[in-house]
Amino acid sequence: MTLDSSRSLLIRLFTLAFLVLVPPTAILSLVALSDFEQGMIPELDRKAAAVGRDLAAQVERAVGYGIPIDRLVGMDEFFSPVLEANPEIRYLAVTDERGRVLFLKGAEREALEPHYRSADFDLARDGRKASIADYLDLALPVAEGGRRVGQVHVGFDAGYVRGRLMGILYDVGVVAAVSLIVAFEILLFVVFFNVTGPMKAVGHILDQVRRGDFSRVAAVPSQDEVGRFVRALTAALRSVDDLYRRLMAYIEEVKTAHFDKGVVERVGEVEARVNFLYRFATAGSPKPMHERRATDIRLPLFLFVFAEELSRSFMPLYVGELMRPIPGLTPELITAIPIAVFMACIALATPYGGRVAERLGSRRVFLMGMVPALLGYVMTGLAHSVYDLVLWRAATGVGYALVTMACQRYISKAVSSEARTQGLGVFIGAVLTASVCGTAMGGVVAERFGYQSTFLVSAALVMLSGWMVYRLLSGTAEESGDLREPSRGELAGLLRNWRFSFLVLFAAIPSKMALAGFLFFLAPLHLAAAGFELGDIARTVMLYPIAVVLLSPVVARLADRTGWRAGLVAVGGIVGGLGLVAPALLPGIWPVAVGIVALGVSHGLSASPQLSMVPDVCWIECRNIGQTNVLAFVRLLERLGSVAGPLLAAAFVPVWGLSGAIVALGAIVLGMAAVFAVVSGAYGSGPHISAEEVA
Amino acid sequence: MIRRLLLALAVVLAAAPAVAQDTPKRPYRIYMALYRGWEEAAQGFKDYFTNQNIPVELIVRDAGQDREKIKGFAAEAKALKVDLVFTWGTSVTQEMLGPFDAPDPARHITDIPAVFAIVSQPVGAKVVPNLESSGRNITGTSYLVPVETQLNLVQSYRPFTRLGIVYNPLEKNSLVAVEELKAQGRSMGFTLTAAPVDVVDGKPAPASIPAKVAEVKAAGVDYLYIPPDTFLNVNRDILTGAALEQGIPTFAAAENPVLTSKAMFGGVYRYYTVGQLTAYKAEQILVHGVKPADIPIDAPKRLSIIINMPVVRALGFYPPMNLLGVSEVIDGGEVRP
Amino acid sequence: MFWTLSRKVSAALAAILLSTMVLTALFGYHKFHDLMSAQVGSRYSFVVFTIKKNVEDRLSLGLALRQLRQMQDIVEREKVGDANILGIEIYDAKGEILFNTDRGGIGASVAPEWLEPLKGATNHPFALRDEDNLVVGLPLVNTLGKVEGAVVLRYPAAYLENELGDLLAKLAAQWSVVLAVFAVIGVVGALVLFRPVGVKLRAMETALGKVLAEGGEVVPDPGSADPFDARFAEFAAKTREAIDHIKGATDEVERLDRLA
Repeated sequence: MTLDSSRSLLIRLFTLAFLVLVPPTAILSLVALSDFEQGMIPELDRKAAAVGRDLAAQVERAVGYGIPIDRLVGMDEFFSPVLEANPEIRYLAVTDERGRVLFLKGAEREALEPHYRSADFDLARDGRKASIADYLDLALPVAEGGRRVGQVHVGFDAGYVRGRLMGILYDVGVVAAVSLIVAFEILLFVVFFNVTGPMKAVGHILDQVRRGDFSRVAAVPSQDEVGRFVRALTAALRSVDDLYRRLMAYIEEVKTAHFDKGVVERVGEVEARVNFLYRFATAGSPKPMHERRATDIRLPLFLFVFAEELSRSFMPLYVGELMRPIPGLTPELITAIPIAVFMACIALATPYGGRVAERLGSRRVFLMGMVPALLGYVMTGLAHSVYDLVLWRAATGVGYALVTMACQRYISKAVSSEARTQGLGVFIGAVLTASVCGTAMGGVVAERFGYQSTFLVSAALVMLSGWMVYRLLSGTAEESGDLREPSRGELAGLLRNWRFSFLVLFAAIPSKMALAGFLFFLAPLHLAAAGFELGDIARTVMLYPIAVVLLSPVVARLADRTGWRAGLVAVGGIVGGLGLVAPALLPGIWPVAVGIVALGVSHGLSASPQLSMVPDVCWIECRNIGQTNVLAFVRLLERLGSVAGPLLAAAFVPVWGLSGAIVALGAIVLGMAAVFAVVSGAYGSGPHISAEEVA
Repeated sequence: MIRRLLLALAVVLAAAPAVAQDTPKRPYRIYMALYRGWEEAAQGFKDYFTNQNIPVELIVRDAGQDREKIKGFAAEAKALKVDLVFTWGTSVTQEMLGPFDAPDPARHITDIPAVFAIVSQPVGAKVVPNLESSGRNITGTSYLVPVETQLNLVQSYRPFTRLGIVYNPLEKNSLVAVEELKAQGRSMGFTLTAAPVDVVDGKPAPASIPAKVAEVKAAGVDYLYIPPDTFLNVNRDILTGAALEQGIPTFAAAENPVLTSKAMFGGVYRYYTVGQLTAYKAEQILVHGVKPADIPIDAPKRLSIIINMPVVRALGFYPPMNLLGVSEVIDGGEVRP
Repeated sequence: MFWTLSRKVSAALAAILLSTMVLTALFGYHKFHDLMSAQVGSRYSFVVFTIKKNVEDRLSLGLALRQLRQMQDIVEREKVGDANILGIEIYDAKGEILFNTDRGGIGASVAPEWLEPLKGATNHPFALRDEDNLVVGLPLVNTLGKVEGAVVLRYPAAYLENELGDLLAKLAAQWSVVLAVFAVIGVVGALVLFRPVGVKLRAMETALGKVLAEGGEVVPDPGSADPFDARFAEFAAKTREAIDHIKGATDEVERLDRLA
């Protein structure tokens, strides 16, 4: 067992979590499903009886007028509306007194007639129920002048109930999958926080001691086995330190008190020898070593992003529900405004968040960001007009910017010793898994408990995440970074670099435009307009982060290996644009799903190459004003796309309709991507400095 | 407490004269100008108010098919200061309400709201400029089923490719019907076999009807269409009897051949229903204060389909279930829903 | 009791298991409830629809709604056929109840909100809630296209619970058993997984104590490929060495001190 590397332990734990979570959910779902099915059948019987009685009465009336039962006319048209209005009813039939099928719609004559022929139809008034193959058949008598002349049959199929109940499995599946992922996140956190992290710290201590350095001890406050071990270790180190202190005090005493110069000299030699061989803390005792770990912030970040993503798939629908007409604005524009404002607030607050985090430290900025975010969610849930909704979304946007900047800074500081890409992986991993889970869960929760409650769930998650940061992250002082503020002139100079401005204008901005305009705005509206329920909308929107999650790591490796970054960015842009144009080529609603997947593929392909291209195309500027600043500037510029996307989409809807607006947005994205594709050929492979500072 | 009592008293005292004048149950006074006596439309009009519990006082005048008599109606209605005027038929309506473009306030009813019924061509007769709005103080109902609707009904009983008609060449209504059927035949894809009855001494001869029916039967028609024609209405027993003998299903555009003779089925707006609808419009004006010009002129929403079951049985030509479900069935002289 | 690693992990697993099971049960049951209510609602809508047809056919003969005396028998027969129907009422456009399976209720007025649905589309059933009853209804329309009133059917809101009580109790019991069994599996699993960690840490601790107290050295498990063991052995040796060295130095200083 390897203690400071968690891989094998985590794999076993994940297996355990899977075994504990999935089988009970599966077992109970199946048991419940069959019970539910049994529970619904009596109700179906009653429905069949109600429908059958009505039909039998009408046939009886016709027969009563002297129409022979075998010469009834227009039975197909007579049966059709009943079958259409009652999907659980599979067929309707009329048979004569000997069980010969006279009229039938919805099933094959051959399947039924043998049963009817052999059945005894001397029925009571409330009919006879029989099971024929997959059908349940209710036969009701038709009488004329006190004599039975035939039967009306209502057949329904138990499979229908099963099919409808299967819908339950979607919800259960989502909850189970999300639980599993959350369980993984929590276990990851528990193991990193309690085992791997402390053991890594222990490893550092061991290495220091091996080099003769006794100046530090590991700080582990926990009460578990690891804590106990660390305390034993610390006790050992302290006892060494103690001996050393006593020796030094003794030496000091000898040096000051002894009259013999020779002895003092010899003692001084001993002192020098010990201090040469070993290093001890200069202060009175060994210093506890606080180690920052990027993984510590992962769970709080996950929860925070989860909270925001809950409302992802239905935000435009929620706005629509609150909407009152505002003169001069189309309803679509009003719907788009809260989304655009949210994006704008993130864009504007992000540079500020970066500076504040630099000054006050990640923990405090994280906690600072919780306040507007929490307030934002609670009040968004309680909003009663679009006006206050915009205000609360703006607050949430500011909070979101502060928290994400705090996390990024925390990670970038924590991993200064480790590989930086790994640290970024923690950040992106948390955001993406939270995005998948949050979107899916949000739809299910909103469908069941309503929009308001979902926002309250978001608020609760934000509180939980804040509590974790407050309790678990150490508030130790952080060395202040040397972030230099770039001047306006320098940033303007950056824009004059045509490679840089083309990359931003024709790759970064359209990609955000498509994301915010299509995925966050048009797609939910369109799916809702097509009659999708919230849960299904969420599951469709979720396809985007899933595609990104699946593709990103592969592409990142590919891009690093081949160096073909501009090409991937161009291809990604074109795939996304084509996906959005899909509704123009294909009928129905499913092109929206195609568009969502294409957008996921597009961003999976282009997001990370796009980021790593920046240092390529402007390495001089990166050197002059710092890569962090350049990247922050890219972020700011691309968010222009996030703001413009929904507004543009909203402007298109009244002209071309929802589907048309998607196509129009797609055409713009495609056009810009095409421009980039053409221009990217001229990029060449400029001199490259390693993408060192990505945060 | 005392203050409130005093206040209540004051209100009562102040309202007293008004209360006396405006008795809550004062019936609305309606002047009903009829042309052919008290029939179904008038009955429907009256029953509607009874059913809806709306008190009305009906002042009924019948012209007895005499145009001269109508002339005094307008003046009388004005003198009686009625709340509303009901006019029956084109003649009465034209005489009392005048043309929409030049009503004469001296001769015609202009200040009192009016509703008309049983006017076959409200626009053609210049009673109203169009059916959406009269543009003046009147509204009304139409009662003729459009030929296309009738033919769709026939189609829904059983699709057909040949339609026969026996008609009176001297009656304008019949000639119009023949023309319309021909036009519909072109668009709906059926051929029309039209047989005019013989004219003897300038009068249509009832005796020639059976031969004419045989003639269309020989042409292989699927249905015989009976137009709303006075001559055929009078001789309906001969016509429908002949058709039944020849085994031709008959469709009647008027209710009498089905209700009181041997036509197989018909699609009409019952006069009774039209009367009710007219009363409904009167209610809108009197009770709910809607301006007559804001009430469009239309027909009842539901066509009355009447099926003559003994004839159906004799022909062995049964109606489809759905049609049967929405029809009134006459069986043994009785109407059953 | 203190929070050992296995306890922390079991607690986390149990909490996640509980919330997963509660959520899935909640969502599953709600969805089933929806489906079932829709089914019951659609059946009663159908019953109401047949009554509506019946009434409207009679209305088209020109009869007034309040004159349709046979309707009283028809609604009573319909109620007798189904024990779950609490009542069927037909009221006119002003809200006066004309026919009612509860004859005592004839002539009374319905709540004003029951007149609201009469203003909308006339072919769609409407649903209302009246205290503990669910109500489905359809407007009645005459040949003139005028809404004459409505027919409504009421059935208990607890209908499903009454019908399905046993089923749900059984499911709840099964649910608890499965939850308990898998919670135990989680606890045992965590115990098994973290036992070696505890054992190993304790072994290292003992070894360290021994080295420091008695001397000797920590011998890394030769079977372990873990570099940590070697590092730990080195650490123990170095610590021991430092202790020895410092003690030696102390002795030396003492000796020098006494020399004088």
